[in-house]
Amino acid sequence: MLKIKNLHAGVDGKEILKGLNLSIKAGEMHAIMGRNGSGKSTLANVITGRESYNVSKGDVLFNNESILDWSPEARSLAGIFMSFQYPIVIPGVNNTYFLKAALNAKRKHTGEKALDAAGFLKLIKEKLNEVDMDPKYLQRAVNEGFSGGEKKRNEILQMLTLEPKLAILDETDSGLDIDALKIVADGVNNFRNADRSFLVITHYQRLLKYIEPDFVHVLIDGQIVKSGGKELALELDEKGYGWLES
Amino acid sequence: MNLSNFQTEFDKMINRDYFSDKVHPMRQEAFSKFLEFGLPTKKWEDWRFTNLSSISKGEFRLSEIQDSPKGNIDISQYDMNDLETIVIYNGHYQEAMSSIPNGVQLLSGSDFLEKTNWEFNSPETSPFDLLNTAFMDSGMSIVVDQNVEVKKPIRMLFISSGLESLMVTPRFHIDLGESSSFTFVEHHVGESTSFFQNESVFITLGQNAQLDHIRIQSNSPSTVNMANLHVKQERNSTYSFFQYADGGKLGRLNIHVDLEGEGADCSLNGLALSNDHQHIDNHIITDHLVPHCTSSQNFKTVLQDKSSGVFNGRTIVRKDAQKTDSSQSNKNLLLSENALMNSNPQLEIYADDVKCAHGSSTGALNQDALFYLRSRGLDILSAKALMVRGFATELLDRVNHESIREFITQRFDQWLTENTTSDNSLSR
Repeated sequence: MLKIKNLHAGVDGKEILKGLNLSIKAGEMHAIMGRNGSGKSTLANVITGRESYNVSKGDVLFNNESILDWSPEARSLAGIFMSFQYPIVIPGVNNTYFLKAALNAKRKHTGEKALDAAGFLKLIKEKLNEVDMDPKYLQRAVNEGFSGGEKKRNEILQMLTLEPKLAILDETDSGLDIDALKIVADGVNNFRNADRSFLVITHYQRLLKYIEPDFVHVLIDGQIVKSGGKELALELDEKGYGWLES
Repeated sequence: MNLSNFQTEFDKMINRDYFSDKVHPMRQEAFSKFLEFGLPTKKWEDWRFTNLSSISKGEFRLSEIQDSPKGNIDISQYDMNDLETIVIYNGHYQEAMSSIPNGVQLLSGSDFLEKTNWEFNSPETSPFDLLNTAFMDSGMSIVVDQNVEVKKPIRMLFISSGLESLMVTPRFHIDLGESSSFTFVEHHVGESTSFFQNESVFITLGQNAQLDHIRIQSNSPSTVNMANLHVKQERNSTYSFFQYADGGKLGRLNIHVDLEGEGADCSLNGLALSNDHQHIDNHIITDHLVPHCTSSQNFKTVLQDKSSGVFNGRTIVRKDAQKTDSSQSNKNLLLSENALMNSNPQLEIYADDVKCAHGSSTGALNQDALFYLRSRGLDILSAKALMVRGFATELLDRVNHESIREFITQRFDQWLTENTTSDNSLSR
């Protein structure tokens, strides 16, 4: 589904990813672990098409097509989703209105009929239940006045609503207490199926107790230096990253 | 229009037999004072950022009877449900097209002066108010007695039309008696190719009176729209003002509110949208003269192309005005690298037990937010439009009357559609 080949990328003229290779097949859950500054978030931003990041070399293929020239919205419509590390507050933009507009953009892209207000409300109520969110959040502006945990739940709510093929969870565990973490993990686990892939970015093994990865990769200084199964996460938790550095 | 052109037009004005000669001395006096001042230049503190060459270079003449419409004109494009409309076309009141509201007295300029024993209110320090006194030629005054709740909003629809360069000078009073309330809409429209409107409005609110004043300035792109608003509020009265401005080549709004009675509340709001070379200027003064009054100023501007704007807000809290609670906010969104905004919120506080806040911000669309919306599948145009809409929502939502709010919102959305571009060179 996703193939990253020898990716060199950075921001503000500074190279952060230095030849990264990664391949994710349909139905797989991959975790990328690494310290701050190792390039985890850069990877997420490059895959989703943030304009301030520059790719100098290499390629990113999604379903065998290079997406590097694609706009962020084209990537989203193709099925790529990122749960933001720091979800953005958008003053004055109603959360329901935004979610409905996003879902209907997606439905238009796939040739489905746009949902009307009633149809959308029915759908969103089910999704709200899955992440245990109070419907009152729908009436607020996007992420305005949301706590850290509420913002992350709102991200997962968006994921469940838009039903992407590839979901990137960028430090979704940060800022969550243990109850919220379980709720978010349940949301993700219920969403897993043979056609969907995940890329979970995290510092800690904590989240991976609840969301079990098929593969764990260690990112150091812009390159994947080690890959393994879920047991690698435990090993990292115990030993830290020092033993992998050259 | 140089001063000798003004003189020529003024001589015509004085010789018009259908204006009462009782006001001639006031006109004369105001005009000679205006000549002493001359038109403001950029050297004047209050006019530093506003270029008046479209007035000084224009050659406007008075609107004559023949500039009124030949028959009934179609105003359906300005329709709003549930309100009474008074039509003023190139400065001429159109009785046949107007619906006279119940519960109020609608008076011509001279009838109003007759009622007030020709007592004359002419601010002497502002050249455009003086010019208004000298040339006042249109507008209908509205007087509401005590304890009247006027149910339907009343709209004055000012239409400017034609190929001639006209100067129209509306002047009207709104007197709201004790414990009365109503919603007043000024609606400025028209397709004229060259037009200079210089309007002065005098509003007095009796005790507990409540006025909702909405001003829609959607003049043609070649119109100069000067507005001079003077508001006096008695005890516990409430004045709520909202201007939606998307028209005109040059729009300047001067508001001066005197809070003269304790417990009065005044809320002044504006949303301006500009493109091309438009210039929209808001000069707002709220003067707290007595204790326990509340006031707010909340103005926003969205600027596209090479347009420019000014916000100059002053809140004055006099020595006696203890327990004043006031806020002032100006936020501006630049959609183009070439747009320019001058923002100057000012507080002048002479009392010591008051609560006053002010703030101002000007910037481009937030790039992180734009990326966030696009990453959810919204195309760049929809994402930008959604953000601009979000920026304006709090002001649009302030309009209580449904059909007025819908009308303004529709115009706003249309402007957004025409002025949102996929260019994304601006970053923050």
